[in-house]
Amino acid sequence: MSRVCLSVLQGLHAAGWSSRLQAGLRSEPRRVLSASGRGRMNVFNREMKKRQKNWAASLQDGGLYDYLRDEVGSRVADRVYDIARTFPLALDVGGGKSHIAEHLNKDVVERLFLTDISQQAVRRGRQTEIPTHCILADEEFLPFRENTFDLVVSSLVLHWINDLPGALRQIHQVLKPDGVFIGAMVGGETLYELRCSLQLAETEREGGFSPHVSPYTAVTDLGNLLGQAGFNMLTVDIDDVQVHYPGIMEVMTDLQGMGESNCAWNRRSLLHRDTMLAAAAVYKEMYGNEDGSIPATFEILYMIGWKPHESQAKPARRGSATTSFGDLSKINQPSGAEKP
Amino acid sequence: MSGSNVWSRTREKLRLFPEVFAQCAEEAAIYGRCVAATTTSKQELKKDLCAKEFEALKTCFTNAAKKRAK
Repeated sequence: MSRVCLSVLQGLHAAGWSSRLQAGLRSEPRRVLSASGRGRMNVFNREMKKRQKNWAASLQDGGLYDYLRDEVGSRVADRVYDIARTFPLALDVGGGKSHIAEHLNKDVVERLFLTDISQQAVRRGRQTEIPTHCILADEEFLPFRENTFDLVVSSLVLHWINDLPGALRQIHQVLKPDGVFIGAMVGGETLYELRCSLQLAETEREGGFSPHVSPYTAVTDLGNLLGQAGFNMLTVDIDDVQVHYPGIMEVMTDLQGMGESNCAWNRRSLLHRDTMLAAAAVYKEMYGNEDGSIPATFEILYMIGWKPHESQAKPARRGSATTSFGDLSKINQPSGAEKP
Repeated sequence: MSGSNVWSRTREKLRLFPEVFAQCAEEAAIYGRCVAATTTSKQELKKDLCAKEFEALKTCFTNAAKKRAK
């Protein structure tokens, strides 16, 4: 269970790295989108997110809030096991307390790199038998050379990234050909109950509303994003996780404890107590269960994408079909003698 | 905001919110129904549309909080 945690600032040359990873650190972070001329999306305050994650990780009872990440981490690990391969070198983007690696073993992943923006989270990483190197790095600026990793995983961090297409493209770059990216992010209709309750309460109490829940990627957009980043053989599926809470305050406290507080630039820093009271009433009335608890939905989108390689199956050439659908009717029914 | 312990006092009050809120379940349900009705009806949700119901909820809440504090 060796674990070597290095900070990017301390200089990677100090440690004895294998020759594969020499000079993996780029001298300056590449801003991919500026080269293509499009304006950089800047929705989230990454500095604030780092502070929130550090705060959440330093909580005494921080383990109380890990249930969602643990669950999603184990499901991502399941998907890694589904691929019948051993990955010599893997990367966990935004791994935090390494919720995925604790479910993996050395047969599947031989060596693991873990990046996160929060130092406190990385320090409290879970025990895993895989030798792990931890690096403090922003998910949008991965400090690795191209064609380095056989496997990249990411669980519940992509929804705070400003430039998601750029981040996916960087993941695509650091992957080796025939490497795979398995990711999980919250998307679609996550926390719609909270969003709607706050919106209705704010409209009724204050005459207008401001966004309190951050914008999410729809599952339909995810396929396009992955395709544009260069992945092929895509698999996208959704998991609906519903967690029941006693009330709206517990929902918000748990989200804060998970390090998932809002950090969008356009967030309002104040929530009037009248609005909070109104939102609690609306949430309970509109979405409450019979036993008095309220549900909160987390829609987890799982994605698997492969970096192209010649060995991968390609769609057949047009006009190369040998049978036609019309032949289906000519298939003989199995004779009665064969039936048990 | 004045006082040395504004944040800790506010957080303490917030911790009591669920308990006090539970005392006013009926008023909360009435207010909630008033607001939820606008989502299905043609009437648009405007400011203070359910002000009467909210006032009832707020009075119940403040009374319950005062009783709790005693």
